[in-house]
Formats: sequence, C-alpha cells, structure tokens
Amino acid sequence: MKIQHNLGGIEGLASINYETLVFVEPWEKRIFGIHTAMMALSNHLNTSEPPYPIEQVPTTFKSFWTWGHLRKGAEAMNPFDYFRFRYYEKWLGGISGFFVEEGYITQEELDTRTAQFLEDSAKAAAPLPSGGNPAIDAQVEQYLRQGDSPKRPYAGTPKFKVGDKVRVKDIYPVDHTRLPGQLRNTVATVALVYEGAYTYFFPTVDGIGTPMPVYSLVWEPDAIWAAELVEPNSSYYNDIFEVYLEAA
Amino acid sequence: MPSGYDGFKYGADREIYSAAKVKALESLLIEKGIITGNTVDTILSYFETEMGPFNGAKLVAKAWVDPAFKARLLADCNAACAEMDFPPGMSGAEGEHMRIVENTPEVHNVIVCTLCSCYPWPTLGLPPYWFKDPTFRARVVREPRVVLKEFGVELDDSVEVRVWDSSAQIRWWVLPMRPAGTEGMSEAQLASLLTPEAMMGVATVTVNR
Repeated sequence: MKIQHNLGGIEGLASINYETLVFVEPWEKRIFGIHTAMMALSNHLNTSEPPYPIEQVPTTFKSFWTWGHLRKGAEAMNPFDYFRFRYYEKWLGGISGFFVEEGYITQEELDTRTAQFLEDSAKAAAPLPSGGNPAIDAQVEQYLRQGDSPKRPYAGTPKFKVGDKVRVKDIYPVDHTRLPGQLRNTVATVALVYEGAYTYFFPTVDGIGTPMPVYSLVWEPDAIWAAELVEPNSSYYNDIFEVYLEAA
Repeated sequence: MPSGYDGFKYGADREIYSAAKVKALESLLIEKGIITGNTVDTILSYFETEMGPFNGAKLVAKAWVDPAFKARLLADCNAACAEMDFPPGMSGAEGEHMRIVENTPEVHNVIVCTLCSCYPWPTLGLPPYWFKDPTFRARVVREPRVVLKEFGVELDDSVEVRVWDSSAQIRWWVLPMRPAGTEGMSEAQLASLLTPEAMMGVATVTVNR
C-alpha cells in the first residue's frame, strides 16, 4: 500500500502552506521545462490524438515519457520523502534518474558536472549551451498548442447511467493508479456520463489504458469517511474510469 | 518552504545543490541533442505570456457581464474559449477537456487533485504551490470548510460545499461570484480582480485587495 494513493482524508496533518507562487526557486522553472519538453518529444506522439510526425523531429530523445511516467515515479517514492521533498525536487530526482536509466547520460557525467557548478561559481553563472535544431522547439510548441487528448470514439454503451448507484471495486493498485484509495469499496451516484471514451497513456495493472467510459460520480462524504470526521452539507465529486466500477 | 510537518531536516545547501544539478542536467541534454538551448525558455515564455490566469480572468469577467456567454461557458468551456480572442492552444496541453463550475449563494465549489496536480493550464496557467501541497490534497477532500476557513473563506452552514477531485480527463475550475460594488466596472477592470485562488475556489473575489 502506498500513501501516495491514499492521501484523501488523512487525519492529524498541520495547516496548509498557502504559497501562491508557482515556482519558489528559479531552478524549479528549468525542471518544469525539461519535463514538458520530454512530454512534447515522447515517442508515443505518432499515435496520440492529435498525432504528430514525431519520427521526423530531429531530437535524440527516443523514449516514452508522459504524466503517467512522472506520476508512477512519484508514487514509487519513500512516503516520508514524498512529504519531505518539495514538488519540483521530486521531479528533479525522478527525471534525472530516468535519463540515467535510459542511457542518455551517465550518473558520473551528471555528478561531475553538478560538482563543477558547485565548486566554480563562474561556471555556475555561465550561460547554458546555445544552439540546437529549431525543429525540436517547433514540435514542443505544437504539442503545447494541440495537446495529447485521451478522448477516443466509443462504439459501445456505457454500463451505467445518470442516477445509478455504483460501487467502486476494491482493487489493489500495484504501481500506478487513477483511483484514489479512499474510494475503494464505497458507493456513489452517477452524476454525469462523459461523452465518448477515455484512454490512459499506457495500460496499468489495475485496468485503465484502453478506451472506456468515464463517469462523474458524487459521494456523500460519510460513504467514504467516518460520519464523525466529515462536515455537513458537503459533497465530493470525482471522475472515475468504468473499469473501477460495478453495480451497487 | 516545506509544507505541514516541518520536523524534516534539510541541508543548508539544499537549493544550491538542486540549482547546480538541474543546470548540469539541462546542459547535458542540450549537448546531446535531446533539447535545444532555447527549449526550456520557449516553454516558460508560453506560460508567462500566452497561457496563464489572465485568460481565465477574461472568461470570468465576460461571463459576469454577459449571461448568454456564461451559459455557454458553463455548458462547454472549450467551445466558449474558442469564441475569445485568445492565442491558439486553448484546447492544448492540459486543456483538452476543461469544465467550469459556478459558485452561487447556495453552492461553493473547490477544486483538488488528490493523486497529483491536474490543473487547467490554458485558462489558469501552472498550479501554485498550495494546490500541489500534499497536505492541501489530503485535507480539503474531507474537511473542506475547515480548510477554506484557514484560507480566509468563511461559509454559512446553509451553503453546500462541493469538492471536485480530478482523477481522469477533466481539468476543473471555478466561476466565482461577482462581488458587490462592481456594477459600473468594465470587463478589464473586473478581470483585474480575479486570482487563480478565486478561480479554484479557495478565495472569494473582493474589490479592494
């Protein structure tokens, strides 16, 4: 069981850090940009919606990288580190590790250069290398403007309709899920059946990744948490893939 | 600025080390032809100048003055975006399927992503730190009124709170209530009152902020 899959409703936490900045340190912008570039250059984009001519983009990046990969890495972390590290610190660890595992860089290269920047303030302040093929950046911009939609046509009939009671299956998520753990084995009402079907970046052990209906479900909070822990006059909504549901 | 529990210890060189490491990584990726020397700046510029909360603010301001537009925005957010004079890309990355829910005197909506940090990039830009805070994500789903009070939003018991969690394709955001005293304002003046926090439901819109 991973705490990252089961955050919803944890008791005993402190007050929230009401930090309205997107980036609290300038370096965080760089890892955000690297991750977004990886998504924009991912090798799956020739079969995405819309499709991109990704084989023709002159990048040496030939890997599959999506939100799903970033999330899976974060979900694999030591749970204390998950709380301990700031958002973009987790990204920096996961993404630099990916480039080493995939063989684009070696750990030694990364460590040596990091050490050089730490030891030599002139090197640390020097501009980044310039140049590169502008067609890479053209693809990145196309990706930003056109996206990577999970929506697909659906020929079948959704199993449930608005007003139906559904039970969330008690599925063990293994390594990656889009089902928050607090919802397992709870009963909700279908508020909306989204048009079409929705896939995921890759198949997960718990069953998403082929096109299927998605439902907006609404819960009475005491269907999820103990009655004495919830607030009156409130409701909880979430968008849930059909494979996670059965008739209640 | 760690959130919540501050009993964790960090080295004094925490930020210096991360800055050096990310620069090492980016420089290696440029040298090896994965990205160019302009890629990261191109992406950052896109969110600074084209896709940010200034777009959401224009949509809300127009919805406040034009009831027919408001109805269209609530019915189909992406289609309503296409009516506006926005840069191309309003249905692009992290905006492919957006929906907006309306705050009223009877219902207050608040948005969260308990599993990660799903956020409507074209209308609101990139998510602020509070939204990414695991403590926010853990707490707001079960005790939204307590959390909203901490954020400065006091709701009457008669107001229903709806929490919208984002575990699939929809990127949710909020149409806040128009504050009193803004009757003579232009759309541009109204847009200037809006914050990302108001458009995610953790703040209300005020005239003198």
